[in-house]
Amino acid sequence: MVRSAWFRVTTASLSLATLACHDNASTTAPGADLPSGGTVAPLFVASVPIPPAYGIHDTFIRDGIAFVCAWNTGVMIYDVGNGIAGGSPASPKLIATYATASGAVNTPSVHNAWWFWDPSGGKKYLFIGQEGPGSIGTSSTGDIHVVDVADLAHPAEAASFHMNGAGTHNFWMDENAQILYAAYYNGGIVALDVSGTLSGDLSSRVIGTIQFGAGDTYTWGVQLYNGSLYAIDMVSGLWQIPLNAGRFATPRGGNNVPERYSSDLGVSGGYAYTGTWGALPRQQGVAGNVVKIWHLDQTGAPTLVDSIIAPQVTTISDVKVSPDGKLLMFSTEYGPNGGFWFYSLRDPAHPAYVADYLAAGGTNGIHTAKFATINGHLFAFGAQDPGTPALIILDVSALDN
Amino acid sequence: MTRGVALFVALADFAARATSAQRAVEATLSAQAIVIATHADPIPDGGTLTEVRVVQPVVMLDGAWRDYLLLHTTVDFEGKTIPNGELATGNWGEGFIDRRHPHTYFHEVMLSSPDVLRSWTRLARVTISAGKGFVPFGTDDPMSRPAERYPVNHHLSQILERGVAMIAIERGMVTGEASLFNGDEPQNPGQSPNWSRFGDSWSARLMLRPVKGMETGVSRASVASPEDRGGAGPTADKWSVSARFAGSWARTPVYGMAEWARTSESAGALVYYTVLVEGAVTVGRHQPYYRFERTDRPEDIRTFDDPFRTVRPHLDNSVLGITRWSVHTIGYAILVTPRTARFEARPLVEFSGGSIKTISGLFDPVAVYGRDTFWTLSVGLRLGWGMTGHRMGHYGVPMKTAMPMEM
Repeated sequence: MVRSAWFRVTTASLSLATLACHDNASTTAPGADLPSGGTVAPLFVASVPIPPAYGIHDTFIRDGIAFVCAWNTGVMIYDVGNGIAGGSPASPKLIATYATASGAVNTPSVHNAWWFWDPSGGKKYLFIGQEGPGSIGTSSTGDIHVVDVADLAHPAEAASFHMNGAGTHNFWMDENAQILYAAYYNGGIVALDVSGTLSGDLSSRVIGTIQFGAGDTYTWGVQLYNGSLYAIDMVSGLWQIPLNAGRFATPRGGNNVPERYSSDLGVSGGYAYTGTWGALPRQQGVAGNVVKIWHLDQTGAPTLVDSIIAPQVTTISDVKVSPDGKLLMFSTEYGPNGGFWFYSLRDPAHPAYVADYLAAGGTNGIHTAKFATINGHLFAFGAQDPGTPALIILDVSALDN
Repeated sequence: MTRGVALFVALADFAARATSAQRAVEATLSAQAIVIATHADPIPDGGTLTEVRVVQPVVMLDGAWRDYLLLHTTVDFEGKTIPNGELATGNWGEGFIDRRHPHTYFHEVMLSSPDVLRSWTRLARVTISAGKGFVPFGTDDPMSRPAERYPVNHHLSQILERGVAMIAIERGMVTGEASLFNGDEPQNPGQSPNWSRFGDSWSARLMLRPVKGMETGVSRASVASPEDRGGAGPTADKWSVSARFAGSWARTPVYGMAEWARTSESAGALVYYTVLVEGAVTVGRHQPYYRFERTDRPEDIRTFDDPFRTVRPHLDNSVLGITRWSVHTIGYAILVTPRTARFEARPLVEFSGGSIKTISGLFDPVAVYGRDTFWTLSVGLRLGWGMTGHRMGHYGVPMKTAMPMEM
C-alpha cells in the first residue's frame, strides 16, 4: 500500500510544514523520541470524569469556580477552590448541572462559556455557546444561551440569541463596556450589548456584525487586546479589527495563512499566537500542527515572525497565554502526542519548549485548555476527549517563570 | 465469538435432525462467500491499492415450527476476513471511509410469528418479529443484489444490525410495516446493539405490489444518534421511495430497481440525498448488470494512523463537508456450475468509475485523493450453497411473499 503522511505527521510532512513557514525561523517541538516533559514538569492534580455525552468540550474558570461545558449533559459547575462547596483543584466539588435549551439543534450541545462580571460587581450571567451541526467552512448552527447563575446552585436560563444561518463559537467579553463579542463561524463576528437585565430574545441588542467576505469567513475565535478585536478565521487567518465605541471599523490583515486552516488564538505582550486545524489537509502533505507567532506593530497589525511545529499531531485546538504573559500553552489532538504543550515566553517572538503532558491513551487528546490562578498557584484545566472524557487539572506554577 | 459460532452450528445440526424426525420442524442451511481482488485508483492519498479478500462469507439458518414460528439467522464472518474493511472507494459508515465496513458476526437473528391473527380474522395477515436484524426501511441490503460492490448510499438506504421489534400487516397487494429499534450502529463486528437504547428510534414502511413482479415502497424512519453509541449525536430523519421489478420479460429473467432517499440530521442542519438505479438480466448462465448512483456523503475526521478510518464518536457534530459521488458500476457474472446444483460458482468482473464533487464544507477531493475522479476494478468468484434469493430485511410473511430476483 502506498502510504502517505497527510494525516500522520512524519518526517516528510514535517519538512513540508517547515517549508510552508519558510519565511520564518522555525522552532520545532521535541519529537516523540524525546522524553515527555522537560526539566520541569506539570504536576498532575486531578482527573474528573465527565459523562460521555459526548464528554467535555471547554472550561471557563474564575474565582475558583469552573464551568465545565459538558455537551448534552449541560454545564457542570464545580467549586475548584472558591470554597463555597468545599472544593479545591485536587478535589473539585460539583455545585450544579444545568442543561440549556436545545432549540432547533435538538440537543443542548454546550460548547463554551463566559461568566460575566459587570462593572458594578454583578456576577449574574453565564453566557453559553451551543455548537450545533454544521458543514465546516460553509454552514453552522447553535445559539447563545444566557443563564442566570446569581445562585450557582440553581441556574436558570434567562435569555438567548439566535442568528439565522449561522451558529456561535468562542466568546470574548469587554466587561467594562458590557459588550459580548461572539465568533459566529460563517456568520463572522457578532457584538451584543449585554448591559442591564437580560431576558428573552436578545436580537434587539446587536451592536454590529462583521464578515471577511464570501468564502472567506468561518470565524473560530476572538480576543480583545489594546483597543482592537483580533479574530482568527479558519479560512482567512488572523485579522485585526479596530473598534470605535464598540463598533467595528475596517478590518486589517487577513488572508495570511493560506496553507492551513486556522484554529484558536491567544494575544499578549504585543504578540498573537494562533493555532492551525488539520482534520483535513488544505494542501496535500501539510498537517494542522503549527502554532504561528505574530508580532503586532504600533497600529496593532500582525506580522508573522515564527512558528512552532508540534510533531505527531494534526490539530492545535486551543492556544492560551498565562495571565502574567510568561507561559504559552496549547492543546493538541489526533495523534500520539495529543495533550498539553507549554512554551516559555521569555522571548515572546521565539517561544522555548518547557514541557508537555500527554492525554490518556485511547483518546484523541486534549480538546481545549485554559489557565486559572487559584490560591496563588497557576493551573491548567484541560478537556480530555473520549473515550475517557475528563477534566484534567495540572499545577503548572513551576513552569511559569 | 467462537463459542457463538459453535452454538450456531449445534443449533443447525439439531434443526436438521429435527427435520428428519418430524416434519413439524423444518430447517434450511445456506451459505455464500466471494473471493475478490480489487484495484482502486486513487485511494485517500493519491496512490493506488490492490487487495484480495474474502467478502460476504455468510451462513444462513432458516427454521420453521409449523406455521407458528420462523427463525432467520445469518452469521457473517467478515469480522475475521475483512477486519479492516473491504476496499471500495466512496463507501463509508461505522467508522470506515473508502472501505466498506465488516458486518457483525450475528448479522441477523430474527424470530417471527407469521399470521398471528389467523384464528380471528382473514382480513389481513399480521406478522410480529423481534431480534437483531434489518429495520423495515428503504431497499434491500446490497448483499442480496447483483453488484458485489456496495453502493455509496448503503447508510442512507438501509438500517441494519439493530435490536428491532416489528409488526407487518399484509392485505392483498399492500404491506405495512412498523418497528421500534435502537439507534446506535455497531462499532465493531463483535458488538451487540446497545439494548438500553431500544425504542429510541422507529421506522415505518408501506409497500404496494400493483402487478406481479412489481413492488413499490415508501419508508420513513427516525434514527437517534446512530454514530454515537452513548446517544449524544444528532437524530437522523430518513425518507426512502423505491420501485423494484423482479420477473420475466420476453421469457428472460430481469431485475430493476430505482430509489430515492433523503437523510436529514438535526432538523435539516445537514441533509444528504441519494438517487440510484440498477438492473440485471439473466440470459442462460450469463448475468450482466449495471448500476448508477448519485449519493451525498458526509466527510468526517479521519484517524491519525489510518486514512480509511474516521474518528468515533464525533467531537462536535460537524462534518468537514458533504461530497456528491456519481458512480457507474457495470459488471458481468457467469454461472459455471450445473443450474440445478445446490452448490454454485459464479466468476465475476466488475468496474466502477465516477466523480466526486464538493457540495458544502472545506473538504477538497483533490487535496485528499489527488484528483476528483476515481475507478475500481474487481475480479472475483462468488460461491453459494443452497442460496435461494433471500431478501434481507423482510421477515415472517413479508419474507415469504417477497419476490427474490433470479441470480
